[in-house]
Formats: sequence, C-alpha cells, structure tokens
Amino acid sequence: MEELKTKQQNTEAADTELPLDKTVRLMSPTRMVVRRFFRSKLSIVGLVMIVGLFLFSFVGPLIYTEWGEIELDESGKTEYSVSTTTYTVDGVQYTLHQTTEKSLKDNFLAPPSAEHILGTDNEGYDIFVRLMYGGRISLIVSFLAVFLITILGVLMGGIAGFFGGVIDNVIMRLCDVLICLPGIPILLIISTILDASNIDAKYRIYLLMIYLTFISWPGTARLVRGQILSLREQEYMVAAEAMGYSAPRKIFKHLVPNVMPQLIVSMSLSLGSMILYEATLSYLNLGVKAPYAAWGTMINIISTNQDILQNHLNVWVPAGICIVIAVLGFNFVGDGLRDALDPKARR
Amino acid sequence: MFKYILKRLLMSVFILLGVSMIIYFLIRLMPVDFIQDKINAINQGGATVSQETVDAMYKMYGLGDNSFLGILGGYFSWLGALVKFDLGTSFVYGIPVADVIFEHMGISFLIALVATVFEFLIAIPLGITAATHQYSFRDYLVTVLVMIGISLPSFFFGQMLKDVLALKLGWFPASGLIDATASYTGVQLLGDYLRHCFIPILTIVILSIGARMRMTRTNMLEVMNSDYIRTARAKGLKERVVVNKHAFRNTLIPMVTSLAGLLPSLFSGAIITEQVFDLPGIGNIALDAMNRGDIPFIMGYNMFLALLSVVGVLLADLMYGIVDPRVKLE
Repeated sequence: MEELKTKQQNTEAADTELPLDKTVRLMSPTRMVVRRFFRSKLSIVGLVMIVGLFLFSFVGPLIYTEWGEIELDESGKTEYSVSTTTYTVDGVQYTLHQTTEKSLKDNFLAPPSAEHILGTDNEGYDIFVRLMYGGRISLIVSFLAVFLITILGVLMGGIAGFFGGVIDNVIMRLCDVLICLPGIPILLIISTILDASNIDAKYRIYLLMIYLTFISWPGTARLVRGQILSLREQEYMVAAEAMGYSAPRKIFKHLVPNVMPQLIVSMSLSLGSMILYEATLSYLNLGVKAPYAAWGTMINIISTNQDILQNHLNVWVPAGICIVIAVLGFNFVGDGLRDALDPKARR
Repeated sequence: MFKYILKRLLMSVFILLGVSMIIYFLIRLMPVDFIQDKINAINQGGATVSQETVDAMYKMYGLGDNSFLGILGGYFSWLGALVKFDLGTSFVYGIPVADVIFEHMGISFLIALVATVFEFLIAIPLGITAATHQYSFRDYLVTVLVMIGISLPSFFFGQMLKDVLALKLGWFPASGLIDATASYTGVQLLGDYLRHCFIPILTIVILSIGARMRMTRTNMLEVMNSDYIRTARAKGLKERVVVNKHAFRNTLIPMVTSLAGLLPSLFSGAIITEQVFDLPGIGNIALDAMNRGDIPFIMGYNMFLALLSVVGVLLADLMYGIVDPRVKLE
C-alpha cells in the first residue's frame, strides 16, 4: 500500500516540482537492514526453522500432554524368545523348540503408533515428547551461553580497545592463553569435576555452559577490540572527547553500538556452534544426564547398542534431525544478517 | 623480521606456561583416581594392600598431597621434568607419555591429511563456481548443501554413515583399524587400512568442506569486484582465463595463510570421529585416558594441543608476511 503511494507521489513529482524530501521515501537504516534480510530466501527459511523449533519445544509440551519428559510407559510388554536345541537319542535326531514368554513392566522400544508418535526408547520414554524437552535444554543453554559470552567479550574487548596500553596488553595476553586451551578436552575435565560435586542432573549442563563462557569470550573480545581500535580514530570520537564525556559513556554509548552489526552476526553464528557443543557433550554423556532428555543424550545410546543403531532408527534419527535443523537455522539467519548488515554487499 | 620472531617465540613460552598451569590445576581437581582404581583391582584379586603401600604408591605417583600447596608442588615438579624434555610416564601404559603420543599420532595424522587434501580438492572448485555464478540456482544449491554439512553433528553423521555403508550395505568395515580375523601383509595390509579409514575420512571431509568452500567463495567475490578484473575483461580475455588466472591466484593469499592454521587439526586427532569408529587414534586414546585418570598423559596431550595451536598461529602470521608483501611484521 505504501509503495503504491510512493509511486503516486513519484508520478506527481514529475508533474509538479515538490521538494526532495516529499518525493523520496525516507528509510531508516534498521528498516533497510530488515528489508534486505527478508529479500533472501535462505534467511526466511532459517527464521522459519528456528521459530518452528521454538514453538515445538516450548509450546509443544503444553499442547501434547499425553506423556511427560520422565514418564515411563508402564503398560507392559511381552517378549517372546525362542530357543532350539537338537539332541540325538538312539540314532534318532530330536529338535526341541522352546518358547519363553516374559512379561516386562515397561513398554520399551515400541514402534511408532497413535499412542507414541515416534515410539518409545530403550527405557520406555516417549521419544516425541523427549524431543520437545531436549529442544528446551538445547535452546535455553545455547542462548544463555551466547548471551554471557557476548557480555563478557564486549566488556573485556571494549576496555582493552579503549584504554590500550598495559590494560590492553594484560587482557589480550589472557585471551591468547584462553584461546590456546583445547576446548573439548577441557570441558571433559570440567565435566568430571562437576560429577564429583553432586550437582542436580538438571542443572549441571547450565553450570558446564557457564564454564564454557569463561574460555570462549576471547573471540568476541578480539572482535570488539579490533573494531574499537579503528573506530577510536573517527571524528565523532574526537567530538565526544571535546564534549567531555566519561569513558564508560564513550565506550558503551558511542563505540559499542557501532560494533553491533558484527556482534549480531557473530552471535547468531555462535548460537549454532553452541548447540553443536551441547549436543556433543551430551553425546559423550557429559552434558545432560539421564533421566533428563537432550538431543545429544538421545543419540548417545547407539554408541553402545548396535541393535538400536541398526533396527530402531526412530529412537535416534529424529534427535539428529532436530540438531541439524537448529544449527542450520541459526547459520542461515546469521548469513542473512551478515549480508543485510554489510553496507558494501548491495544488490 | 628476526626480532619479531624472537619476540613472538618468547611470548609463546609465556602463553604455554599459563595454559599448562590452568590445565594442571583442573586435572588435579578431577575426581578420577587412578591409584584408587588400581588398589580396588588388586583387592578384587583377593590380595590386600596395606595402608603403607597405598601411601607409598600415592607418593610415588606424586599425588599424595591434594592441598593447594601440594598441587603447586606437583605442578613445579612436572614443569621441572618438562625442561628436561620429559613429559613423565603414562600411568596406564607404563611408558613415557611422548612415546604414547607418537605411537598413536600416526593414524590420526594420516586420516586428517587425506581428509584435508580431499577437502581442498572438492571445496575450492565449488567455491569458485558459487562465486562466479553468484545468486544463481547453482550458487544456492552449493551453499545450502555445504551449510547442511557444517550443521551436521559429527557423531550423528558418522553413526549414520556407519549404519548405512557398513552395517546395512556391508561395503566397509564398521570399526577398528585392521581386520583381526585376517593376517594381511604389504599392499593388502595397506588396502585393509584404507577400507577401515574410508568412512571416517568421508565423515570428516563432508563436515569440513563447508567452511573451506565459503571461504573460497567470499574471497573470490571480493577479488571479482576489483578493478584489475574489469581491466582483464576489458582486454578481451576469455572469462575462463580471467577467473582461473587473474582472480583465483589472488585468493591464494588467505588460503596459504589458513594452511598454517591447519597444523593443529592435522595432528590433534578427531576425538569424536575416532570414538564413533573405534579407531586407535590419539583423540580416542585421550578420551580413554581422561576416563581413567591418567594424569601425565592428559597433561601431555593437552599441552601438545596447546603447543600446536600456538605454533599454528605463529606460522599463520609469518606466512601472511611472506605471501603478502603489503604486510610488514614488526
């Protein structure tokens, strides 16, 4: 509708000479970014994936209340096993077929049905519901980690870039050390330390991710520092200096907002890698532990159980697909944002 | 130049000191107790171990004192041995840590090397086509496919390939490095190795193509927009020559620089992939050592990784100065 109006205005402008600001539609930079973002099909696909996963994980359990996260299906299951023995008596061969019926309490490894949309796992938990709860953990944990990493990174990078000198040197050397720490091995070590401190299985993954932020902030700090070093020489910073603004005001009101574009892109891309991190830790049985659900934990079972790996794809493949959708979604959105925020990449 | 290298090397020593301190303290806080496990094993065998022997064992392994000062002392004795190029003796294997690392590094290195070669061979042409056909269907197709590759968790994709290619189709062995039932020699043995390594390498290649392809594409796009490309086109050169000779050569600067950055990943071993396929590479050995509390080995392995990444960063910077004459190192 608005575009039509502009067109009309344009044709009118050709006839009667209106001042420039009436003939040209003004667009704020934010709006231009949003428009460029939505022009790319991939970023829309990514956004749909992420919003879909959010609804699935957070609204899903409210609607689909058949089963809970740690609710076993105790409807029972009968297992039949047949054993055959052959023996020879007086030259005649006899074969004995013996069927054993075993009644088990839990209905585990049930195939997909109306009752269990994706069946049940080896314990008897409903897989579909556990996917939802696993999604909650993955999304909350990765958002939390990225949020903390960004805060710490902006703070340290901002201080280092703005003040320079000794402070810069100390912070950057600390960054060098932390960047050299091998990521997965260190998290494995921290995770075993957490095992000993008797933390509730529900909260240990949060604690683990907080530790992860302590070794992951240098990347963001370097990015912020690099930007600030080049921005510091800009004329508006000289103006801010002349106005006599305080250092925090100059850093956080004048410099940091100008780093935001790069920061937003790196945040959305690292959301994807955080989900992978969490999933990997859970797969190694170091993240979220049983009985609670996480996507990585749901795949963990196949590393010891070949039967499930080969014959019960419904137990582990859906969790993997969820991880791929989440990471892919964040990567698409991050890419779209990068193109949209880059003033050079117009098309 | 010489002064710069010297300065960087000196700085690297301090970085490694900081890293080793953090890792050592974290490891000593680990609740996994190798001695206790060993004593339990002896007790299960029927023999009893006297308290004096237990204390002596703790003292022998240097783990007697778990107070802050005790750990600090342990750190310095580890550091003292390191100065003499001694990483200590592995608890589990009973041989020097350096020997364990070298013994298992070969297979990890071989897998990583082959995977890296294939990664370059596939990713670079893909990146070039995507860049020269920007925003076309081809560009989107390649981008989406490699993005899916980046987004796949290695354990999930590895298990999927294992399930389909090894267990369902039976084309390749599912795990391990050699066929235990057959005794091959010479060329046959090499073939057996390759058959076992095929799926792990395929997994690593598919997961890593994405980053390399996207890097090539970005660099290509940047170069394709520059003035000398317009000049080359204006001279009437064939598009093929413009792309392959004028444009691609200029994307080699960041490519060569990133080669040095590959150093750590070549030697460090892929922990997860090796775990999935049960390969006796260094990553898998390290994972096992961490579960068993083999402190000297964990320490040695982590320091090995840290050293590789310090050297990798240094080499990348030096390489940048050599390849790009505009960059001056000081």
